[in-house]
Amino acid sequence: MSEKLQQIISKQNKALVGGDNQKVDEVVQLVGFIVGEEEFSIPILSIQEIIKPIEWTRVPQIPKYILGVFNLRGSVIPLIDLRARFGLPLQKHTDETRFIVMKNGDDVAGFVIDRLTEAIRMPKRDIGPAPDTISEAETMIDGVGKQSDRIITILKVHKLLERNF
Amino acid sequence: MDEFEEILQDFLIEAFELIEQLDQDLVELETRPDDLDLLNRIFRVAHTIKGASSFLNFDVLTHLTHHMENLLNMARHGDLIIDANVMDVILESIDLMKALLVKIRDSREDSGLDVSGCVARLDAVANGESAPAEAAPEVVVQESIVVASVEEEIDYSNMSDAEVEAEIERLVAQKNAEAIAKHSTQAPAQISASDDEEPDYSNMSDAEVEAEIERLLAQKNAEAVAKRAGSPAVEIPVVQSAPVVVPTPAPQPKQAAPVAKEAPVASAVRRSEPKDEGESKGGATVEQTIRVDVKRLDHLMNLIGELVLGKNRLIKINDDVEERYEGEAFLEELNQVVSIVSLVTTDLQIAVMKTRMLPIGKVFNKFPRMIRDLSRELNKKIELEISGEETELDKSIVEEIGDPLVHIIRNSCDHGIEVGDVRVASGKDEGGTIQLKAYHEGNHIVIQIIDDGKGLDADMLKQKSIEKGIITEKEADAMSEKEAFGLIFRPGFSTAAQVTSVSGRGVGMDVVKTNIEKLNGMIDIDSEVGKGTSMKLKIPLTLAIIQALLVGVQEEYYAIPLASVLETVRINKEDIYTVESRSVMRLRNEVLSLVHIGDIFEVERVFDNSEHAYVVVLGLAESKIGLIVDTLIGQEEIVIKSLGEYLKGIEGIAGATIRGDGGVTLIVDVAALMQMAKSVKSTVGNESNDAKKIGVKNSASDYCVMVVDDSKTDRTIMRKSLEPLGITLVEAVDGVEALNVLKQGDHFFDAMLIDIEMPRMDGYTLASEIKKYNKYKNLPLIAVTSRAGKADRMRGVESGMVEYITKPYSPEYLMNVVKRNIKFNEGL
Repeated sequence: MSEKLQQIISKQNKALVGGDNQKVDEVVQLVGFIVGEEEFSIPILSIQEIIKPIEWTRVPQIPKYILGVFNLRGSVIPLIDLRARFGLPLQKHTDETRFIVMKNGDDVAGFVIDRLTEAIRMPKRDIGPAPDTISEAETMIDGVGKQSDRIITILKVHKLLERNF
Repeated sequence: MDEFEEILQDFLIEAFELIEQLDQDLVELETRPDDLDLLNRIFRVAHTIKGASSFLNFDVLTHLTHHMENLLNMARHGDLIIDANVMDVILESIDLMKALLVKIRDSREDSGLDVSGCVARLDAVANGESAPAEAAPEVVVQESIVVASVEEEIDYSNMSDAEVEAEIERLVAQKNAEAIAKHSTQAPAQISASDDEEPDYSNMSDAEVEAEIERLLAQKNAEAVAKRAGSPAVEIPVVQSAPVVVPTPAPQPKQAAPVAKEAPVASAVRRSEPKDEGESKGGATVEQTIRVDVKRLDHLMNLIGELVLGKNRLIKINDDVEERYEGEAFLEELNQVVSIVSLVTTDLQIAVMKTRMLPIGKVFNKFPRMIRDLSRELNKKIELEISGEETELDKSIVEEIGDPLVHIIRNSCDHGIEVGDVRVASGKDEGGTIQLKAYHEGNHIVIQIIDDGKGLDADMLKQKSIEKGIITEKEADAMSEKEAFGLIFRPGFSTAAQVTSVSGRGVGMDVVKTNIEKLNGMIDIDSEVGKGTSMKLKIPLTLAIIQALLVGVQEEYYAIPLASVLETVRINKEDIYTVESRSVMRLRNEVLSLVHIGDIFEVERVFDNSEHAYVVVLGLAESKIGLIVDTLIGQEEIVIKSLGEYLKGIEGIAGATIRGDGGVTLIVDVAALMQMAKSVKSTVGNESNDAKKIGVKNSASDYCVMVVDDSKTDRTIMRKSLEPLGITLVEAVDGVEALNVLKQGDHFFDAMLIDIEMPRMDGYTLASEIKKYNKYKNLPLIAVTSRAGKADRMRGVESGMVEYITKPYSPEYLMNVVKRNIKFNEGL
């Protein structure tokens, strides 16, 4: 874990140095995570906290992708499985599974992800729009971040937290 | 401007408080038109509001109240007899006054309402009936007005504002001037009527008059106080003459003496009700109440809720610790602390709840007026008897209960109480009576509305319902009398032959039921044709923290508000019958329809071949249902938390609570559950079929056994012994791992071989953990251990082991035990 942390810190430092060179560019801070085969990310400021999986309680009469509710220090918070939300086959929770608690205003919910990757600093100019093939109103994709070796999908947190049933 | 706003707020709060009392007083006044006390009180309200509104520049309101004051003033003097017609006008003006006050509260101005018509009527009544200068003790009464007004003006001094003082000065002066004017016109009459040596006011200088008034005021003060305390012996003329004049006969001062003595006592008594007339405000006593924003109380209540959750959790941990460290000395201390915390928390909760309590009189107060209006409108004589109005309940409930009561009482007046001649013909008093009672019963408040009208006719109700298509004839036949009474709560139901302005649209009682259900309350109707109807509303005292019954279905738990639980019964599965694809059971003399909680909440039910089932009998408003659950966990105090915006409005779920172990438990919405039960197909008794399906084995490898042992050697020995069977074996090194493997559910195990001595979690603990899960109730657990003592075996049995194999054992023996327990080959 500490190794990974080291890596992240050094990467961040590099990014910081890089940021000095290109002062004019606005930088977006994201947290990356894996769901299924793909890497997604959300703005770091919309994350309340990231916790290890804890017990939750199933709630009846709701879509399958909502696992139920869990107790986060006295608050009852819904838990949403992003695999199910994205229509991927379900998978057992592993040691790397995390709950990301996201918030947008008063809306709070926990999201189950397969594993975390890293905190990412990305210049705004590297972020492109969502693919045209997806309709603007429906999509959960805010944009696509391009890095030298990979592509990261940035998600709309408010869309994730929106009740759609 | 802020200062003005503050004064305005005070004014509004005071005015609304005054008005609340007003309606009741007015109706009472109609029956006792000569009660000077009442008149004074009513007059005071008009007067106070007039004074304050003129100060705050509400001209329309001032105009109206001024004319009301005039009229009431005349009534106080006996210049005006208050009959029903006069009362109508007064009531009309009071309503208008209320409307104006509401307008001021909402928009900070009093324009836009036309008061001229009402003012004209007030004046007309006043002029048409007034007969001035007929009563002798006029002067005295007149002065008591001044007393009253001076007393009231003291209210303003609370605002400690120079302007207010000035206003008081002005009003007092005005009053005095009025008084003097009256005196001078009536002086001759008085002098001849009473043998008092009445000073000739008209000849006095202003200062002298002032002094005289001052002196009389002091007397009147004492008199007014004594009168309010209700000493009937004191007649106005007595007091009037007693301390003033020299030539009064001897007996009179004697009569007056007790009055003077009584006065301080009376005023002391009165201080306990500080808002009564504002008199104590000027005195030395400090007000014993403070106004608190409801938001703050709500916040306090929330915090207490968190504390109760913490307490529950602490108790749970204490129990666990007790189990683990049995006999340790520190346990005693921990126990003490936990019980103190729990005790104090409970007391604190009660104390905070009490701060939110309001007497139900707040709601009851509006009914005398309503009954009066209704009885005039319907041309029936109806009397309302209220008792228990001091009974307290939570503010939020007080707010919700008003509407249902209005509907019930309107209904009683319109449908219940018969017209006068009909009543006489059936041998009853001409006037009907409606009783409104409130009292505590356990954790509930019961509000009872009893009328002595014509009662409910079950057959007629059924007939009407069939006509209106609310029920079918078949349903009607199956209905008991009580169920038939319940029909009046169905939407669209009305027994009135024609729609009147009072009721008959078939909306009201439906609202009653919905509102009472919202409060987790119950309605019970009793009625006898010709004798009358009694409606009992049973409502929990508070809403935020409730007692709940925790029930289990498979591995899930649900909390049912205890207020809705009538009883729990354990039944044999054979007692459940199926009628038209619905499950029912016979409970004493009733047929109770049943629904499985698993069907309502889509719980996956694996298999359950126990013979018994638990039925929780739920009652809400007037309906009943039996809810089948797997287990009853017990009663617990729970704090209702909302599921939040994202999950709001889930049918059948009222909210969630956090349990002692930190887990979330959902709270059942009993009203919704009853609705859902109607559309749920019965699956009670179907589980056994499902169980068979799961149990189907096609080959030896379909059998799956878990081996739990920390020693690799032992695991290998077991594996070797069982390999010849060809069954699937899964290994785990200790209890914790075994439990995780089980929970993952990758395999369906037919049996488990468990070692007792293991690190992290031993065999006994593992066995009792496994048995906590309903679906593993029938999973055979076989202990394999070198512990051979009798006590060990006993513990094994207690924790749910079915077999006990002592090491060492022969492979054949192990194989046979396993074969027997997994029913090997029986299904092939």
